[in-house]
Amino acid sequence: MTTATPPTVDGADRRPPSTGHAAAAPSPVAAAAGWLVQNPLLVLLVVMVAGVQLATGAQLGWGNLRGVFLDAAVIAIVAAPVAMLVIAGYIDLSVGSTLALGGVVAGKVAQSGGSPLVAVGAALLAGAAVGVVNAVLATVFGLSSFIVTLGMLTAVRGVAQLVSPLPLSNFGEAFGFLGIGNIAGIPLPALLAVAVLLTAGVFLTRTPAGRHVYAIGVNREAAYLSGVDVRRIPFLLFVTSGAAAGLAGAITVARLNSAPAGQLGGGFELAVITAVLLGGIALTGGEGSMVDVLVGVLFMGLLRNGLTLLGVTTFWQNVASGLALVAAIAIAAATHSVRGKMQTREARRLDDAAPTG
Amino acid sequence: MTVSVRGLTKRYGPTLALDRVDLDIAAGEVHALLGHNGAGKSTVITCLGGGTAPSAGSITIGGTTHAALDPRSSIAAGIAVIYQHLSLIDRLDVTENLFLGQEATTAGVFLRRADHRARAVRLLERVGLDVSPDTPVRQLTIGQRQLVEIAKALSRDARLLVLDEPSAALSPVESRRLADLVRLLKAEGIAVLYVTHLLNEVVELADRTTVMRDGRVVWSQPMAGVSKTDLVTAVSGRAHGAAVAPRPVDPDTAPALAVDHLQAPGLHDVSLVVRPGEIVGLYGLVGSGRSRLLETLFGRRRATSGTVAVDGRTVGVGRPDDALRAGLALVPGDRLRQGLFGSLSSGENTVLRVMSLTARAGWRRPRAEQEVFRSTAAAFGLRPADPAVPVSRLSGGNQQKVLIARWVNDRAGTRVLLLDDPTQGVDVGARAEIYDVLRQVAAERGLAVLFASNDPDEVVALAHRCLVMRQGRVVDELDMRDTDEEQLLDLIHSELEPS
Repeated sequence: MTTATPPTVDGADRRPPSTGHAAAAPSPVAAAAGWLVQNPLLVLLVVMVAGVQLATGAQLGWGNLRGVFLDAAVIAIVAAPVAMLVIAGYIDLSVGSTLALGGVVAGKVAQSGGSPLVAVGAALLAGAAVGVVNAVLATVFGLSSFIVTLGMLTAVRGVAQLVSPLPLSNFGEAFGFLGIGNIAGIPLPALLAVAVLLTAGVFLTRTPAGRHVYAIGVNREAAYLSGVDVRRIPFLLFVTSGAAAGLAGAITVARLNSAPAGQLGGGFELAVITAVLLGGIALTGGEGSMVDVLVGVLFMGLLRNGLTLLGVTTFWQNVASGLALVAAIAIAAATHSVRGKMQTREARRLDDAAPTG
Repeated sequence: MTVSVRGLTKRYGPTLALDRVDLDIAAGEVHALLGHNGAGKSTVITCLGGGTAPSAGSITIGGTTHAALDPRSSIAAGIAVIYQHLSLIDRLDVTENLFLGQEATTAGVFLRRADHRARAVRLLERVGLDVSPDTPVRQLTIGQRQLVEIAKALSRDARLLVLDEPSAALSPVESRRLADLVRLLKAEGIAVLYVTHLLNEVVELADRTTVMRDGRVVWSQPMAGVSKTDLVTAVSGRAHGAAVAPRPVDPDTAPALAVDHLQAPGLHDVSLVVRPGEIVGLYGLVGSGRSRLLETLFGRRRATSGTVAVDGRTVGVGRPDDALRAGLALVPGDRLRQGLFGSLSSGENTVLRVMSLTARAGWRRPRAEQEVFRSTAAAFGLRPADPAVPVSRLSGGNQQKVLIARWVNDRAGTRVLLLDDPTQGVDVGARAEIYDVLRQVAAERGLAVLFASNDPDEVVALAHRCLVMRQGRVVDELDMRDTDEEQLLDLIHSELEPS
């Protein structure tokens, strides 16, 4: 679904000079239809929120949304770098355990009287260290990132439990601010998530290295033959994803005010991957944007929240979330072929319109 | 029994690959199919083998007319296609490969292995292959595998055997053995469609020959009384490709590319120079080392010794990135797999490298990128000239222009342009346009152009000089000014063929 696949060299003047008849711009109806086809999940999201709001009158209240954003923020912070890895043709399944490691490391520092900033820095470093291991195995040795990070998922969980065999708790108010604090009425984690998504979005669209992420995901061989550094970029993405998971761990622990190494972030990697896929970022790589990630994360959060508001029990919520993922991907596949046909037609139209010779 | 193809037409998007092709192959006859790359030979074969459905036309075999075949119905109709890339399964042994998909079973479940083996022995004997039926296919040479494929075709009672450039990867001895087998099968009443580049094979084996050019049949006659010269004329099609003479190059100019005693796996002591503004063709068959040489110059493969100099400066090329920094760029042979980013836009495909060169302090400069796209799209006649169209939606010729534009523009700083098979899968109109683009970049920008091709017509149309490659060596050098087209084609063919 690659909603807004970021613009490249298409400035204001993308059309060839009009020859008068054939090259008329597509009609507004066709343009609107095209946009809807490219953003089916966004349409679903709006319909869903409107429905829940009409039925319960409760979803769009700030108090409720605040809770949704707080939950979504932790996922978004990690989903952004994981999505970039997926775009480049890799995956990171180790983020759940990395979150636990970051959490217990931050908890230890905070409990022993370290400042919150030092605690966060330690969590980032611990997460980045996991990322380096993933990166070396997947990019330098060329092992499958699926297998490498699946192994690390288990190994890092063990490391977290070794670091903190007993659950930690009570980290002090200053550290707690990271999890539950507000700035201008907006939860701090949500602000961090927005910052992460914006930074990642700007990186992906406005820097050569960001565009290379797509190039590597679409065709690694061609990227290599075009002089793209096909190892360094994924390497840095793995490190970033590890660090982001570490940060997410610090936030989670600060919010819970406890750090149970065995349970922290259990199933978190699946929530992250689900959000990324829901957003329409294909596992085959080369497609997707941070807008997709945002939509995916919000869809998941608002779906669960809506079901809760409607009084659906947790078990049924799980059933619904799972089905939503499958449905979203089915819709994506269906719109994909429609979009392909539209592009072919558009290419032919422009070809016909261009002056021959 | 005769196989008749009538009005066979195949469109790929905007490209017309086959245009109303008629073809008759009689039982007990060897029918040669000749033509350059992109002439449509492969498409005919693919339609016969059921790999693709024709857009129009029919295939009649044994009295039954088919509008389209799929692989299963093609086999059932008695057609066996031996593709250049053989379709055996490496890990299975000869017997298993022979009966794959048509296994004889007991009670519908259990393989009758002993039965298979006995039949395999007889089949191998029939094609003259002296290996045990228990040999894993991966241990066989290409020539032996080909014979296994033919044996497989015989086991299916094939009535039409299609051979796609069967001798391209064979040693002279294996080629002769294959020719003997073809004669034997012909005597048994099998119809053979023999696709090839090599005129000697045609003269030696064929009863009838059809020549294709640009998706059409341009010539079809029984071979009685036909000379090799007639074939050369038919294949080259004099009027077509009579190119504007390339702008002469001063032979005293310092070379832009100088390769000195280059050694690499599969390359032996290659030395050559290309001057600024000069277009040099590397002519050779599959496996002659022409692609390997380009890939080695570009850093895709490692050289073991020798030097490469660009504008007089020796460059150490370990990776493509190094080559690009030194001003050496390659448009690879496999456009889809090695060149294009299919789902990305043509604009992005064009500026992928330039993006880093125009960036300031790590930030892209969209205006500079747009300018690069606009100017190259205009200079090369890219259609559509819209940067937002996914490159996978462009025709082959326009895709190739995008790849050339990636390296040749005001920002890229390319000095030497290497192209592997520059018009592969490009239709005839676009081919002429690509030749124009290459002449233009050589003449106006003073680029040195070195291209590999196995299409003699292309070398004639484009090159100032031609280097002939065989078995990893440059074995001959021809000045294209002094040679008339037909003489040259004849010369190239007689040089390349084992006599």
